[in-house]
Amino acid sequence: MKPRKMLVFWCSLLGLIVAMTLLSGPLATHPVNEMDLDAVYSPPGNGHLLGTDHLGRDVFSRLLEGGKVTLAVASLSVALSFVIGIVYGGISGYVGGWTDSVMMRILEALISIPSLVLVLGFQAIMQGGMWGMTFIIGVTGWFTTARIVRSEFIRLKDAEYVKMAKMFGTPLWKIITGHLLRNSLPPLFVVTIFNLAGAIFIEVSLSFLGIGIPPAIPSWGNMLYNAQNDLLIGAWWIGVFPGFLIFLTILSINFIGEALKDPGRRRFHA
Amino acid sequence: MTVKWIGKRMMLGILVLLIVSFLSFFIMNAGPGSSATAYYGGNAQTLTASEKERISKEFGLDRPLIMQYGSWLKETLKGNLGMSAKEGRPVTSILGERLPNTLLLFGVSMFFIILGSVWLGMAAGMKPGSLLDRGLSTFSIASSSIPPFWLGILFIYLFSVMLGILPSSGTRSLSGEGGFVDKLRHLIMPASVVVLTHVGLYARFLQESVKSEIGSYYVMAAKANGVEEREIRRGVLRNAFIPYLNYLGMTVPSFFGGSVIVEALFAWSGLGQLLVKSVMVKDYPLLMGGIMLTGLIVIVTLLIIDVLMYMLDPKLRRGELGG
Repeated sequence: MKPRKMLVFWCSLLGLIVAMTLLSGPLATHPVNEMDLDAVYSPPGNGHLLGTDHLGRDVFSRLLEGGKVTLAVASLSVALSFVIGIVYGGISGYVGGWTDSVMMRILEALISIPSLVLVLGFQAIMQGGMWGMTFIIGVTGWFTTARIVRSEFIRLKDAEYVKMAKMFGTPLWKIITGHLLRNSLPPLFVVTIFNLAGAIFIEVSLSFLGIGIPPAIPSWGNMLYNAQNDLLIGAWWIGVFPGFLIFLTILSINFIGEALKDPGRRRFHA
Repeated sequence: MTVKWIGKRMMLGILVLLIVSFLSFFIMNAGPGSSATAYYGGNAQTLTASEKERISKEFGLDRPLIMQYGSWLKETLKGNLGMSAKEGRPVTSILGERLPNTLLLFGVSMFFIILGSVWLGMAAGMKPGSLLDRGLSTFSIASSSIPPFWLGILFIYLFSVMLGILPSSGTRSLSGEGGFVDKLRHLIMPASVVVLTHVGLYARFLQESVKSEIGSYYVMAAKANGVEEREIRRGVLRNAFIPYLNYLGMTVPSFFGGSVIVEALFAWSGLGQLLVKSVMVKDYPLLMGGIMLTGLIVIVTLLIIDVLMYMLDPKLRRGELGG
């Protein structure tokens, strides 16, 4: 496939998934938490498109609703890490000197901790609901963003037009937002897309481990967490469908990121 | 020169560990539930204010945080990581029991990832435009998008539930005599999940650096002079291996984080599973110790990679790139 066509294909697939989760209200065939104890572990078909779980809840409807939760947590946390990354990287890159060195050493230390472990540390003290999760993923996900903003700012701050703007007495905030930040957007955009895949991954992982989103709220990770035991008695559909949807979502995001990264590969290698 | 360079790297590693400990100590102690009340679990709510105060005094929790950190650091340097709040045993001995399992899983999967990715990356990179070359990028993106725990679930369903040929969890059979072979049987599934979800990523990286080496003048000159294919391969691999090692180093932390989940899924009693458990029961001393040990493993791995790079890269040895 041509790169252009591929981009369109993966964008549409991702769009379809997002749209389906957003429209979970009208699309769901059953209420999310409706239990049907007569139809426990019923396989796909028989009035339940993708079968039912251990409480007789409809897998398809929960899948849509769960996607909404997972995607909302992921997007909000990425927005948070976007902001933190820009502020941290921006200060480090613009101020430079020993401030930059200190901030970079701290960043290096943070990067060398497995982010999942860092998340676990936070989770131990918060164990909140959705908002807590969003906060934790956001607060631990800004490292690459900060690095890119820093290197872009360092590259751009000595550019002719920035010097010119300074000479004309353009206010600092205008130089930063209008010149530096604006021109760092393309690589930032790409890294943010990959961050989104990462955020989904962390939410799903934590919920899967049973320490993420409270079990009462359906999310893709929570569904997989419940599916672990169902699997052993042969109810494969409870685990296979949410996992496949997670896979498709992350796959489309990664392909979109790759497609956008490619044209200017050298520039984006920070 | 060499000693100085390695010393500098080690200092950096120690600094990183210090920052890690400092951060995680403060994060954990900023939270509402103190480890003193965690000690009492569900009974914590029934404690009166004066009892809480007494406990805080006993554990030294009434002192300023920075002082607490100081004494934690002092004890840690002596090799004392405190007592697990839940199990009542020294953290170091619990960690000691878990460490071999984690290192086994980490080491085995790392070995196969390097082996597989070098083989795939070389094969694909040396023949630009071939099917393997074109297929590898797609395979790499696809395989790294699979959530490892989902692949694990599918494996368990396939190999344990349906075929019944591999154990679904644990590090040894409960009924069997145990032993090395038994452990290996338990290792197969977790290790293959880690390898399969990572090998593509590294193979692709090597493939791209091999491709950029192949186009360079020294390869063309060598070919023109009739240097044997095998010799060329060796030269290309050697040069492409340096950025590959660097990439390996960069991704070790996230790689290690991924194995946490795999450990938990397969009930592989290693550090990762321990970390998850200590989060669930809010066992702060144990969690703190686990994080520090994880950090140490990552730092040591990075150090090994650094030394390898130093040995391979003459530019580094001559100090051209700076430490």
